[in-house]
Amino acid sequence: MGEASKISRYLYTVIVLFLIWLLLTASLDPQELGFGLILSLIVAAFTYEIFTTSGLANLHPKRVAYAIAYVPYFLWAMIMANLDVAYRVLHPKRPIRPGIVHCKTVLNSDVGKLALANSITLTPGTITLDVDDDNYFIHWIWVPDEALTEKEEEHVKAASANITAPFEKFLKVIFG
Amino acid sequence: MLKRALAIITLLIIGYWLAQGLAGVPFGEDRMLVGQYYLDHVKEQTGAVNAVTAVVVNYRGFDTLGEVTVLFIASTGVGALLWRRKKERTAKTEGSIVLTTGTRLLVPFVMLFGAYIFIHGHLTPGGGFPGGATIATAFLLLYMAFIVYEIPHKAFEKVEGAVGMTYVIVGLIGLAIGGYFLYDWIWQDWQWGAENIGRLFSGGFIPVIYTIIGLKVGTELSGIIDNMVKEEVSE
Repeated sequence: MGEASKISRYLYTVIVLFLIWLLLTASLDPQELGFGLILSLIVAAFTYEIFTTSGLANLHPKRVAYAIAYVPYFLWAMIMANLDVAYRVLHPKRPIRPGIVHCKTVLNSDVGKLALANSITLTPGTITLDVDDDNYFIHWIWVPDEALTEKEEEHVKAASANITAPFEKFLKVIFG
Repeated sequence: MLKRALAIITLLIIGYWLAQGLAGVPFGEDRMLVGQYYLDHVKEQTGAVNAVTAVVVNYRGFDTLGEVTVLFIASTGVGALLWRRKKERTAKTEGSIVLTTGTRLLVPFVMLFGAYIFIHGHLTPGGGFPGGATIATAFLLLYMAFIVYEIPHKAFEKVEGAVGMTYVIVGLIGLAIGGYFLYDWIWQDWQWGAENIGRLFSGGFIPVIYTIIGLKVGTELSGIIDNMVKEEVSE
């Protein structure tokens, strides 16, 4: 995805900051709204260059809808993964088989990679150690049999299918 | 061994002595002398809902001017101590994509939140110093994540000087109008915001002063960070 025009990036930053201001103040007092708008305009003028590269294109309805749908999806994955880790801790045999695995991602944008890395880390059992281009190095609490192969390609395929793919189908649409 | 034992014994004696002194203080009893006056009169006299900021900026504004001066001296002192003819960032490794992208996304929010803190000084806890420190945190994030980032020095130095001067000028206008330094002319004479105490546009000159302090503290702490992360380079 190429870089959007400056005006588009600036407006997008203003909109996001103003939404944050609404959440912070939680009031519809015209004084607060007016001043929040002024502050958003000022702060965005200083920071829009580093904040966004794709600008208003981020507010495409399909992307917003996927982003909203991603929240419950991710929370559910997080709850299930937490229960799984609790099970491993409480189980008398403590079934852990830790290892560092190599995944590949189909995401292109930096923000998408950040979101994927954070999603992986926030679902217990997997921690992102490093991200390098489209390579993810992940510490896994239970490396399944299909990933325990000598062949690099098969290993990457199995690990990616288990770790990155479930999030990617959403993040690909949201961030590209 | 002997040194350590002596130090522990001395500390124990000092601790006992302090505890003895504090034991005489009646905690939880109504012992407010000046405090009660502040609480009773803060709204009508300053227009602020937050009594702490009213005391800090209005009743005892001179102390705050002193604190701002202390911070300014600290910043100048660090600058003088670490002065070199040629300084550069010498960090070698760029942060990973997770760190840099995360910083990019966070910086605008941190700045907006800092501004939110100092603009609501007369209504909520906080004020110019926490707000300014929050804004400096945004620049610290940029310094930590990017190996080449530098604050815009020229603009920062000008803002720092200009807002410091504005603080004194606001005080001097009070001196001219009301007869003493830092007299709250916006509230006392204009009655600005008198009808909506508790909303944003109220509180006399507290929001004005706190915007000034917030900008000053933000730029000053960023300058200190800048001075500390740079190292001399030999040509």
